[in-house]
Amino acid sequence: MPKPYFLLQKKSDVYSVEINGTEDLEKTEKVDEEGMYKDLKGNKKKKKTEDLKKELDLVSDAKLTFHRGLSSARAAEILARDGPNSLTPPKATPEIVKFLKQMVGGFSILLWIGAAFSWISFGIQFAQGAESPFDNLYLGVVLALVVILTGIFAYYQEAKSTNIMASFSKMIPQQALVIRDAEKKELPADQLVVGDIVEIKGGDRIPADIRLIFTQGCKVDNSSLTGESEPQSRSCDFTHENPLETRNIAFYSTTCVEGTATGIVINTGDRTIIGRIASLASGVGNGKTPIAIEIEHFVYLVAGVAISIGVLFFIISVSMRYKILDSIIFLIGIIVANVPEGLLATVTVSLSLTAKRMAKKNCLVKNLEAVETLGSTSIICSDKTGTLTQNRMTVAHLWFDDQIYSADTSEDQTTQPFDQSSQTWTALSKIVTLCNRAEFRPGQENLPVMKRVVVGDASETALLKFAEVVLGDVMDIRARNKKVAEIPFNSTNKFQLSIHETDDRNDKRFLLVMKGAPERILERCSTIMINGKEEPLDSEKAEAFQTAYMELGGMGERVLGFCHLYLPENEFPDTYPFDTDSMNFPTSNLCFVGLLSMIDPPRSTVPDAVSKCRSAGIKVIMVTGDHPITAKAIAKSVGIISATSETVEDMAKRLNVPVERVDRRQATAAVVNGMELKDMSLQQLDEVLCNHSEIVFARTSPQQKLIIVEGCQRQGAVVAVTGDGVNDSPALKKADIGIAMGIAGSDAAKNAADMVLLDDNFASIVTGVEEGRLIFDNLKKTIAYTLTKNIAELCPFLIYIIASIPMPIGTITILFIDLGTDIIPSVALAYEKAESDIMNRRPRNKSKDRLVNEQLAVYSYLHIGIMQSVGAFVTYFTVYAEQGFLPTTLLGVRVNWESNAINDFEDSYGQEWTKYQRTYLQWTGYTAFFVSITIQQVADLIIRKTRRNSIFQQGLFRNKVIWVGIFSQIGIALILTYVLLRYWFVAVPFAILIWVYDEVRKLFIRRYPGSKLVGQEHVLLKQSLSLVILLLVESFFSILIQPLLLKRPVCAIITWARPMKG
Amino acid sequence: MARDKQKRSCGQVLAEWRAFVWDPRSRQVLGRTATSWGLILLFYLLFYGFLAGLFALTMWVLLQTVDPHVPKYQDRLATPGMMIRPRTETLDVAFNVSAAETWQHYVRLLHDFLEPYNDSVQAARNAACRPGRYHEQPDEAVPNVPKRACRFARSALGPCAGLGPPGTAFGYAAGRPCVLLKVNRVINYFPGENKSINVVCAAKREEDAARLGEMAMFPPNGTIDLMYFPYYGKRVHVNYTQPVVAVQFLNATANEDHHVECRLNAAGLRADDERDKFAGRVAFRLRINRD
Repeated sequence: MPKPYFLLQKKSDVYSVEINGTEDLEKTEKVDEEGMYKDLKGNKKKKKTEDLKKELDLVSDAKLTFHRGLSSARAAEILARDGPNSLTPPKATPEIVKFLKQMVGGFSILLWIGAAFSWISFGIQFAQGAESPFDNLYLGVVLALVVILTGIFAYYQEAKSTNIMASFSKMIPQQALVIRDAEKKELPADQLVVGDIVEIKGGDRIPADIRLIFTQGCKVDNSSLTGESEPQSRSCDFTHENPLETRNIAFYSTTCVEGTATGIVINTGDRTIIGRIASLASGVGNGKTPIAIEIEHFVYLVAGVAISIGVLFFIISVSMRYKILDSIIFLIGIIVANVPEGLLATVTVSLSLTAKRMAKKNCLVKNLEAVETLGSTSIICSDKTGTLTQNRMTVAHLWFDDQIYSADTSEDQTTQPFDQSSQTWTALSKIVTLCNRAEFRPGQENLPVMKRVVVGDASETALLKFAEVVLGDVMDIRARNKKVAEIPFNSTNKFQLSIHETDDRNDKRFLLVMKGAPERILERCSTIMINGKEEPLDSEKAEAFQTAYMELGGMGERVLGFCHLYLPENEFPDTYPFDTDSMNFPTSNLCFVGLLSMIDPPRSTVPDAVSKCRSAGIKVIMVTGDHPITAKAIAKSVGIISATSETVEDMAKRLNVPVERVDRRQATAAVVNGMELKDMSLQQLDEVLCNHSEIVFARTSPQQKLIIVEGCQRQGAVVAVTGDGVNDSPALKKADIGIAMGIAGSDAAKNAADMVLLDDNFASIVTGVEEGRLIFDNLKKTIAYTLTKNIAELCPFLIYIIASIPMPIGTITILFIDLGTDIIPSVALAYEKAESDIMNRRPRNKSKDRLVNEQLAVYSYLHIGIMQSVGAFVTYFTVYAEQGFLPTTLLGVRVNWESNAINDFEDSYGQEWTKYQRTYLQWTGYTAFFVSITIQQVADLIIRKTRRNSIFQQGLFRNKVIWVGIFSQIGIALILTYVLLRYWFVAVPFAILIWVYDEVRKLFIRRYPGSKLVGQEHVLLKQSLSLVILLLVESFFSILIQPLLLKRPVCAIITWARPMKG
Repeated sequence: MARDKQKRSCGQVLAEWRAFVWDPRSRQVLGRTATSWGLILLFYLLFYGFLAGLFALTMWVLLQTVDPHVPKYQDRLATPGMMIRPRTETLDVAFNVSAAETWQHYVRLLHDFLEPYNDSVQAARNAACRPGRYHEQPDEAVPNVPKRACRFARSALGPCAGLGPPGTAFGYAAGRPCVLLKVNRVINYFPGENKSINVVCAAKREEDAARLGEMAMFPPNGTIDLMYFPYYGKRVHVNYTQPVVAVQFLNATANEDHHVECRLNAAGLRADDERDKFAGRVAFRLRINRD
């Protein structure tokens, strides 16, 4: 049988794409391959067509028994052979691999090295029979525990967010109506096998690729496959060689819009057309998220510092004649001091807090790192329908009495404000109400009109709701105007007609109402109603109609014409038998009443969101399958194309020259048709994306979305893409952040996306962007906060090695800071409010605005960090001095101090100490050092609240969580030090100094914006130098000249105090 | 982006680095001009100079607040430690009787240690105090007046005083070594609650007592006189002579390790701290090898 061959063939294609999928060059090829199904000439495709045809032959045997269907036994057999009818989810990394990845990523390697060194030195010491080798064993165990625990934590966080998604895909198990063993059965769709007979009716999702053998008015919506939004009719006839074009095949995951059909399953699961596209998506390379790159950069930076300082001091200590073993132990200390053990966990927590906050705002983030990606987004490629618009037809304009009226199109309209006094409106409203087959589902009387569910097509629904809002109970009006005959809309007539009794008891005439394509309706009219009076339809009035029709059509709206006729009572008495087949009633010389135009209106929050994007420097590109005119109209109404900008076509029209002669560069906006896009080279596309700031892609297929995304990425942009269809998934994967629609989105799209938009609303993306930017700023603060104390932890080791003083702080104590007191405060910084309006600046430049840059590292390490170290050392020396060892006695004592044999170590007062007494004192020193770092970290936490603004501008109490952080920090420190309050206040002046120093820095930054002071200290230096010199000169002069000019110096100083020019 | 990185050849990277190290066009070294570097260095010089000054200032303030005579806290020294002489890098006294070079350094160490205890020095510097009670010297009107120290006669150590003929060498030459024991100095420490205190030595494990053999204590009974307490600190108590007790191992079994523990026997002194093996006691290893 040909099937396995077919399968292999296909598989190998997919793999070839996967293997090459990462290279940009091959991407065009791949896109071609996606388009292959449509390409009639492609050789590969021909082969496939052949295969598919063979399959059909095979299946045709089953036709003979289609009323019986497969036997359950046979079905089970095939199911066992082919597997269930469901798309294989993208290959998941095994959990254990994910877990191990957490164990070796980031700083873990460094800590493992530290642990390994500890164990090695334990081994050596143990073998040598030293006194206390177990210290190193424990240290190694603690380090390993730290790595494992943070690994478990990170793994847990990630698993949690993945689980949210898993629950998504299992929400609705699909059912299919299958004939098996000559019985109709409702089966889960994944139980379907090739050869099953399935029945489909309007509204169903097609459960597999099926060859139709019986249809009745069947139409399918292939939009999820091809992007064409118009429903296509399906029949049993074989009409085309290409399986995608032929009418007798319906595809998995598309929906049946109306009618019924019966068919034989010819492909299931991954072998369906959609399955192949979905597996293509998994081949699209998924790059690292910007925040992952940033964190990697940060890890490299810190690891670089740790390793270089470690190695440097290893060499120094070896050349200072320390034992190799001791040097290794120093190395461990330096590594532990340098690595911010708790930071990665903190970042994870901060991101997941933001993810939670975003979930509340309807942005469900699948991948934590995507939280920040959204913040650095510079281009959003948005769908139109449902995302920018409300996804429902709504009456937007009316034309009667030779005048255009606008209707309210907002989501929650309850009244319509336009002038309803005219008699013409009364007549028009009657037609709208009566000539309409749509009905509300019963039992929704309490719901607002706009929210009620309607049975009927989109236009009729729009008209029904419009009428209900304006007139009140439509069903009652219809009941009072009993329908006696009706011709439903069909594509040959292009009109819909019905005949009603009137609700006027005295008027025994029948009312004929008709609606349809405006030009067809006008053809049938001889009069027109103006202000309630019928007037002959002369050329002037016909001209007015044309103008209005063009204007409404030009706004991208779907226009309908309405006319009516009161049938004369004498010709059409009560009992007249209306026959819709022979049409024994007039259908011409009617009276034209008016036009109504409908559009899928933009969501009311979208224009605001788009303008926010604009001020935030984010380009919004609309990508839609709709008609260019409609797309442009919506783009204009939401501000994607601003009121003042023009497309090339607009300019041509205004200047009255052919399109070719217009300078394309001058047009800021562009509406690109899918057909044009198809013929464009990559360079041309780049040009379009580069030259126009406002772009709309219309009539595009979802496959072209991928090309657009890649084009944007070539410009160096961080691209967010929205999508809902299965074949959006390659684009969603390719994008830096793929956003799937929560309501309209398919599972495949949700799977491929990084984020799910629960309300399908574009405005939610913008709030997401805001959160993303905020978290980037706040992570910067968190990292700055965390890095600072690393210097205060590192310096003790360096000075210990060089000056041979007793060890100021122990490795375990460092872990108490990193994983104890500092965790909650650094998470608290994630709650910090934005300093300025973060939506008014451009998206960060991926290559320039790093998370951890030179300035941040230098300021944290060399400024605040050093100050902290000084403060901590003052505490250290205070402890030793108060216990009997004055600072000078401490220098160079290391060897004797640490000797186990010396139990009469003399202090500055002549007292003698045993080893244990000294060790106990050393621990007190650790505690004091720990406490003073904690105290200064409180100051550090406060200064990190803002980067530019003074703390007094930002407010100390706005972020309550900071205070939780401060109190937790102090609380944990109190518990760890057994409430030893003795040395708590030594470092307080230094904490205050840190605060003052930072306030001065911020003052300079605010005074002289543009110069980033840190990293460019010379600017700061110049300013302060000039101040010092000025003061010196002043005082010098004041001594010399004061007798002469008493008031001068004071004036000069005051003058300087005013802001100087840059 | 990935492609850009690949495109850069090794030579280009090298050239970029060279340009970074010295860019002749903009006259920049490591990305900065000389003036910029100068200013940066100056800034850090000033900044760190300020911090160093601040540190020095706080240290000075600290020293002003610290009492130079008595430390502020003594909570770590509640129980004074004990130590032996001769002290080597390990707490061992191990030697071969017939090989003089194995014990010569012990003898030298003991002689050096006992130098200030010479009777002549003691007589010249220190006062004869009334034995059997604390020698308290309270400050009257003037604070921190210099204190007098009590005499400790080296001769009181008997054969362990090292005053005999040079050949005796604290008994090491005869395989009957002396080990001196001393109690750590702690300022204002009054041991024994006014009752006499002494040092006792024994084998660490009782069953080894026989093999360790007899010991002689000098002064007799290992007594330390209360007159050597309290200690007033090295600033006011300049000539303070720390009392010592000697233990002589008279016939310890040769060629085997003896673990000896000596304790200070004083009322109110707890010498059983599990963690501090030297609080009020001292343990050392003794090994006398004979050919």
